[in-house]
Amino acid sequence: MDQLNIKEQQEFQTIVEQKQMKDFMNLYSNLVSRCFDDCVNDFTSANLTTKENSCLAKCSEKFLKHSERIGQRFQEQKYVSTF
Amino acid sequence: MFGLGGGSTPQVSSQQKLQAAEAELDMVTGMFNQLVNQCHRKCINKAYNESDVTKQEAICLDRCVSKYFETNLQVGENMQKLGQSGAFMGRQ
Repeated sequence: MDQLNIKEQQEFQTIVEQKQMKDFMNLYSNLVSRCFDDCVNDFTSANLTTKENSCLAKCSEKFLKHSERIGQRFQEQKYVSTF
Repeated sequence: MFGLGGGSTPQVSSQQKLQAAEAELDMVTGMFNQLVNQCHRKCINKAYNESDVTKQEAICLDRCVSKYFETNLQVGENMQKLGQSGAFMGRQ
């Protein structure tokens, strides 16, 4: 792949930042869907139960830690396949 | 015939370079997102008994990533082989 010069790098950096923002929004809505699906199943009330709240907290934290680990392994793999 | 100066390699425009870089970034990001979702589905216990990733889940995740990359290569090779035989059939 051709190397980008300084000006192109700056332009690319703007593109990267826009994508990161979009990606973060997707991550957020994805997480809400996922944790709702997994944790919220009791509709005897219109408010979240203590159990559900606790589940949501664990779900979110676990997902982020999971995502982090995947990221680490991904980095290792990517460099292996490039060379 | 080409008496003019200049290199023999065609000049790739700035826009083309950026588009190629963007395409690669999209591909990598797409692959990463798939990996996160699928390995979560395959490895993470949805009972959410704890907020940390357990040792067992961690091992599963590591292996999941490794297998995913291997799958990526394998399927790529398979597609190439299928493509080649398809092309031969087309020429006859």
